[in-house]
Amino acid sequence: MLSIILILFTSIFFTGIIIRTKSIVSGRKGPVILQPVKDVVRLFKKGAIYSETTSIIFRIAPVIYFSTVFMACLVVPFGSYKGIVSFDGDFIFFAYILALGKFFSIISAMDTGSSFEGMGASREALFSMFAEPAFFILIGSFALFTGNTSFHNIFSTLHLGSSITYMLGGLAAFVLLMISMIENSRMPVDDPKTHLELTMIHEVMILDNSGFDLGLILSTGYLKFAMYGAIIADFFIGGLFLIWAIPLFLMIQVLYAIMIGLIESFMARFRMNHNPQFILTLSSVSFLIFLGVLLVLDKFV
Amino acid sequence: MMFYEGKELIGLLFRLYVIVLFSGIIVLPFIPLRFKSIISIISVFLIALITSFIALNGFSGDGIEFLVNGGSFFGEIPLRIDALAAWFILIINFTSVTGVLYGAGYLKSSTVHPSVISFHWILYIVFQSSMLIVCMVQHSIAFILAWEVMSLSSLFLVLFDYTNPKVLKAGINYLVQMHLSVVLLTVAFIWVYFKTGTFDFKGISVFFGSNPNIWLFLLFFTGFGLKAGFIGLHTWLPQAHPAAPSHISGVMSGVIVKMGIFGIFRIIACLKADYIILGEIIITISLLTGLFGIMNAAVHRDFKKMLAYCTIENIGIIGIGIGLGLIGMGTGQGLLSFLGFGGALLHVLNHSLFKSLLFYSAGSVYRQTHTRDMDKLGGLIKKMPKSALLFLTGAIAIGGIPPLNGFISEFLIYCGILNGINSAGISQITLMVILFAGLSMIGGISLLTFTKAFSTVFLGTPRQELKHEPVEVSLLMLLPQYFIVAAMIIIAFFPGYFIGIIGTVLNNNTFNSVNFNIPDLQRYIGILKNISLASFLLIAVIGFVFLLRWFFTRGSEVKYSSTWGCAYPAAGDRMQYTGKSFSKSFGKLFNFLMIEKKGYDEIRQDETFPESRKYRSFYIDIFEAKIIGPVMHQITRFINLFQFIQNGKIQAYVIYGIVFILAIFIGTILNLWH
Repeated sequence: MLSIILILFTSIFFTGIIIRTKSIVSGRKGPVILQPVKDVVRLFKKGAIYSETTSIIFRIAPVIYFSTVFMACLVVPFGSYKGIVSFDGDFIFFAYILALGKFFSIISAMDTGSSFEGMGASREALFSMFAEPAFFILIGSFALFTGNTSFHNIFSTLHLGSSITYMLGGLAAFVLLMISMIENSRMPVDDPKTHLELTMIHEVMILDNSGFDLGLILSTGYLKFAMYGAIIADFFIGGLFLIWAIPLFLMIQVLYAIMIGLIESFMARFRMNHNPQFILTLSSVSFLIFLGVLLVLDKFV
Repeated sequence: MMFYEGKELIGLLFRLYVIVLFSGIIVLPFIPLRFKSIISIISVFLIALITSFIALNGFSGDGIEFLVNGGSFFGEIPLRIDALAAWFILIINFTSVTGVLYGAGYLKSSTVHPSVISFHWILYIVFQSSMLIVCMVQHSIAFILAWEVMSLSSLFLVLFDYTNPKVLKAGINYLVQMHLSVVLLTVAFIWVYFKTGTFDFKGISVFFGSNPNIWLFLLFFTGFGLKAGFIGLHTWLPQAHPAAPSHISGVMSGVIVKMGIFGIFRIIACLKADYIILGEIIITISLLTGLFGIMNAAVHRDFKKMLAYCTIENIGIIGIGIGLGLIGMGTGQGLLSFLGFGGALLHVLNHSLFKSLLFYSAGSVYRQTHTRDMDKLGGLIKKMPKSALLFLTGAIAIGGIPPLNGFISEFLIYCGILNGINSAGISQITLMVILFAGLSMIGGISLLTFTKAFSTVFLGTPRQELKHEPVEVSLLMLLPQYFIVAAMIIIAFFPGYFIGIIGTVLNNNTFNSVNFNIPDLQRYIGILKNISLASFLLIAVIGFVFLLRWFFTRGSEVKYSSTWGCAYPAAGDRMQYTGKSFSKSFGKLFNFLMIEKKGYDEIRQDETFPESRKYRSFYIDIFEAKIIGPVMHQITRFINLFQFIQNGKIQAYVIYGIVFILAIFIGTILNLWH
């Protein structure tokens, strides 16, 4: 219960911080932190234009996309406090429920019959497919490490042994940071600020969405960031008391947002055909974590 | 004549089953065309009802056993229906019933000769019964016989459109490969017979008890694997499925392929040693099968071929479960065995449901548009909304995505892997982590495959003008699909019941080495209950967001316009993203596995005004092109060396006969054959 409240709270200002960081780095003052939320509220009030090509899929997809990400947030725990949905193997549910949302966002893009949106959809499907093994090897390694199989149990027992776990946590944070960049279609895989449809991934998929639906898709993006931030924070919170855990959580989220802002300010987007290589590199980093776990557990004989 | 031991009622029912079977076969050719499908529906339904009732008794205790006197040749044929057989019998019956209903609608407007139709339906009934018998008999010769009848009847069902040379070629391919399977199985059974002196399946257990397990098992695995379509043994699948009429493809993919899995399970139940090494072999083969199947499915344009490759992928997933179960048996982890075998058994059921659903709804598309090339279609959701939603349901389920049933079985297999990760040896741990990553990748690629298939066929606008405007198919074709969806939803939201049944299947005497404790089973039933609660919650959340959407957009203005084409107003239907372009970048990345062939004429230099020309590109199966093809070529060349024997001259043939007789005569005189 606590985690979903905190995730919802951080999602309000998360994207604002990213935008603000980017503005400051490039020497501008930038919009207020709450500007993204204001945008969404404005979109909620607007009317909508639908393409004549689209079918029912296009109308229901944004709602399902939002709901699946919201459900995924419910699985994420907060330190030693369980998420609302928690059972052994819940991270499999987490990954697959996100896949449901992705399924609908892809077919909704294809529903418009636009070749640009098809291109974005195809890339989204391809890149998220490559990101999948990294996440599973990562969580599998931690399942091996702690002997537990649910998010909550893994995170709450992670730091009970030696402090080497913080190092593993650091590596895991890097992998998750990159996965979240891929899943949210940010640099270096995708550039949300590009103005050429041919080089877009996520932005081009929602070209035809407008009004409430667009607002819903944008807020899903904010929620997704906060969700990944929460998982990263969970790697460090462990069994801390609330009075320490909540400020630490917020601090990690803010740091995470600033980090994304900095990455976006100083990196250019990769060439599209380099993306798969980059994403597969993440799997190898995850594999490194797995080897680290094997070392720590003395499994090499 | 036959006689029965054991329960009176079961014997009576069995007799009734035989009567229904034969009366259906005899009546069908003599009735008018319009009654043929009704009679076959009734026969299939009655057979399903009777045998399912018999099967339900198989779940209790040791199951049912009775002996049939097969005359002097067979001796006494034991028919045993244990829980494992019962599970498969129920799956066969459900899919056969939906298949006959759908098929009745599918063939309704067919213009072929009535005798072809009656032959088709007779074969269908024979085919259903042969599968049921395969599950029941535990006598090597009778088993091979039933297996052969099953292969042949399904072959002739595939050859419905026998005037099409492509269909014939696919059929012959299927025939040859199925006989390779029979040869391997026969060799394996003969081996058992020579070591133990019995045709009863109990002999296999005896064999495993006193001999090395691994080779006989691998022989059986290859034989059954040909039916199931493991990698390297799969090449008949992508040819036979597109060639068959859609209800047959659905039944083939749904249940025939699973008979291979049944055989493997049956042999595993007899195993006595070598569990771990066999488990590791099966897991490796299965992971490769899964990845290979889904990668090929992602690139193909023919949607039935795509579904056939996807079947190969699902066999891989089932195989992973079986391998996990074997490792669990070897290391004594009862829970791992339960999760592996249980996941595999549930996935057999799940796959039979959503794959037949997908074949039926894709078949409806083929029926209305007469093309299997998805890049020629588009926008069908507006013309055939019900078929589109049915296909979508199947697509989500087959990707293992919640809240549908595919997730439940894949979740069990994932849990099995997680359990295996915490096992002892480093090699197993590494295998499990690779498996974990591989299975997630299979999931990712299947997302790509099915978003591609659904959106190219049903979304956007039509890419080509069709000869006939497609309309929604008849209720008779939709009805079985609704039944399947209902079954899928029941499994998805009330999985505990099915896990309980699977617990019975694994807990009785069939699998004597699987020892899991009941609290573990209860714990997993609890976890699955949590999943279904989460699924309900998801639906509630979706409903709530819809309410919000309705609340906010109540008064606001809604306009309709054309799709944004980057300010280019003349974007045509042909400019849409096709399935081919959707999977192009994926295909390019894995071009060492999926070989793309292109055919086109280059524009010559003297061609000032190039005429319209064709460009085609297609993917070929690497196993068929690089391994099986060349080997077959060499074999054919070798065999052709002996062509002079078959020279067409009667004189030569007479000489062969004389030589043969002389050889026998001389041999007898010299007492060479004793």
